[in-house]
Amino acid sequence: MTALRKPLALTLVLLLILACFFAPFLWVVSNSFKPQLGIFADVTPISWRTFLPLEPVLENYRTLFERTNILRALLNTAIVSAGQVALTLVLCAMAAYALTRIRFRGAKAVFVVILLTFLLPVEAMLVPLFQVVSGLGLNNTLLGVMIPWIASPFGLFLLKQAFEELPRDLEDAARIDGAGHVRIFVSVILPNVKVPLLTLGLVTFLFSWNSFLWPLVIAQSPDIQLIQVAIAQQGSPTQLPNWGETFAGATVATLPLILLFLLLQKYFTQGMAMSGIKG
Amino acid sequence: MTAIDRQMTAPNLARRPDRTARQRRDTRTAFAFLAPFLLLLLVFQYLPLAMMAKNAFMDYSLLNPGAAKFVGLLNFEDMLHFDDARESLAATFLFALVVVLIVIPLGFVLALFLNSNLPARGVVRTIIMLPVVTSAVVVATMWNFLLDPSNGLINGVISLLGLPRQPFLTSPNQALIMISVMTAWQQVGFAAILFLGGLQGVPKELAEAARIDGATRWQVLWNITVPLLSRTTLFVVVIMTVFSLQAFAPAFLMTDGGPQDSTNLIVYHVYKMAFVMQNAGYASALSVVLLLIVLGISLLQMWLLRAKWNY
Repeated sequence: MTALRKPLALTLVLLLILACFFAPFLWVVSNSFKPQLGIFADVTPISWRTFLPLEPVLENYRTLFERTNILRALLNTAIVSAGQVALTLVLCAMAAYALTRIRFRGAKAVFVVILLTFLLPVEAMLVPLFQVVSGLGLNNTLLGVMIPWIASPFGLFLLKQAFEELPRDLEDAARIDGAGHVRIFVSVILPNVKVPLLTLGLVTFLFSWNSFLWPLVIAQSPDIQLIQVAIAQQGSPTQLPNWGETFAGATVATLPLILLFLLLQKYFTQGMAMSGIKG
Repeated sequence: MTAIDRQMTAPNLARRPDRTARQRRDTRTAFAFLAPFLLLLLVFQYLPLAMMAKNAFMDYSLLNPGAAKFVGLLNFEDMLHFDDARESLAATFLFALVVVLIVIPLGFVLALFLNSNLPARGVVRTIIMLPVVTSAVVVATMWNFLLDPSNGLINGVISLLGLPRQPFLTSPNQALIMISVMTAWQQVGFAAILFLGGLQGVPKELAEAARIDGATRWQVLWNITVPLLSRTTLFVVVIMTVFSLQAFAPAFLMTDGGPQDSTNLIVYHVYKMAFVMQNAGYASALSVVLLLIVLGISLLQMWLLRAKWNY
């Protein structure tokens, strides 16, 4: 890193990083405000116009929301993601409480049963999972999209770790006052693990919002289509549909996550660093 | 487990009957807390696992799974007879290899940057995390257009440099490399964050002592930092490999597995076999192979990481 102490070298490296990681986003977003011919005209030769919509038009967004059911897809995805976050938090916290705060026979065996599922590659389970969920009559339902991922071994580990760090004295006082496990769980433990809960909630939201292969196979009816599937069906460069409209779709599908990420970056990064297995 | 051990030594051993009654009650409470989680785990993880093992020996379609026929090892024999499985696995491994070869050195260098005291670290961290939080679908869509032969941004840059335009995704020689580069681009920020975690665990005193003894910065990097990060590196390699082996969106959205099956990634192949060709038995057999490969990698990792030298 010595060379980087020179301002010129540092500036060049920063520009390179910006060009590689940020310019593609800028290109997509700014092109979502241009008509098709403008996009093509601005790319050769490349100049600063390539990345800025000089005469921005909202046409692409208007046709996107009028022609496609993207609004419905956004709504469906919001419901699935919110439901998945809420249920994951509840189930994982309850399980983590039992494994860290209650002494019982079989705790180790239960833990091993959960631990083993950590090793299973999610995408390899696609076909049998499809059969299980459609066997339960949950195909083409929003519940069917989220239900397989709620009992998340990652979520359990994250919360188990956090619960173990809490000192025992915390609940001893409550126990002397006659509080049972339910009350200790709700009013003593949970208020002390807000950050781990937030972290898990964010990672779950990210995973849920971005998931594609599972919604593609399990939610085929247009009414319950999810956002990633909707974007995937929008088109490729060689098909005629408008580039700008596809870019507008990609922007709309990504914006909520990017905003959430920028607001809560610290927790996101922490959660990702802990996840190891990312969905 | 330490919390539980501590409790085991503490409570009252004086009144036995009382204790067992309480124990029974505690066990009941514990399973009440665990029940929803365990139920979903059994239904959505263990049941599919068992079904997959069984279905690999069946011939059936997802349209009518009731009419499944037992065919013994036929699906696995087909895998050996026809080239599709071998070619798909070869493409998937090559894809994963290229991703890892790009992500590891670049992720490490970016982590060094983030761990330094250079200005603009925060901005760099945010920017390299943007692709990580963006969905695989949006990234694939974006790169589809970036790589377009006539109006794509990358060919725009190439022609600006006076070089000939490239076909990229329509070329059997370039398509797999390009989707690997794209996946590496998406994941490198994640790798950097993992490496950064490792770097922050390296005690500063070691590097300082070596510097005082006259070692150059390069020597410290190569002889102290890199070896101390071997566990983190292995961890990142395994995560990236397992992740890449399960990639789907690039093949589905950008290449349809082509040209000439050169990007027919295994999960895409499974998807096509099960949901398009309606040959779910064969798809299950392919899934079993993928599962065994991933399990093998994870077990190898655990074996390599078994409590070796810690700092």
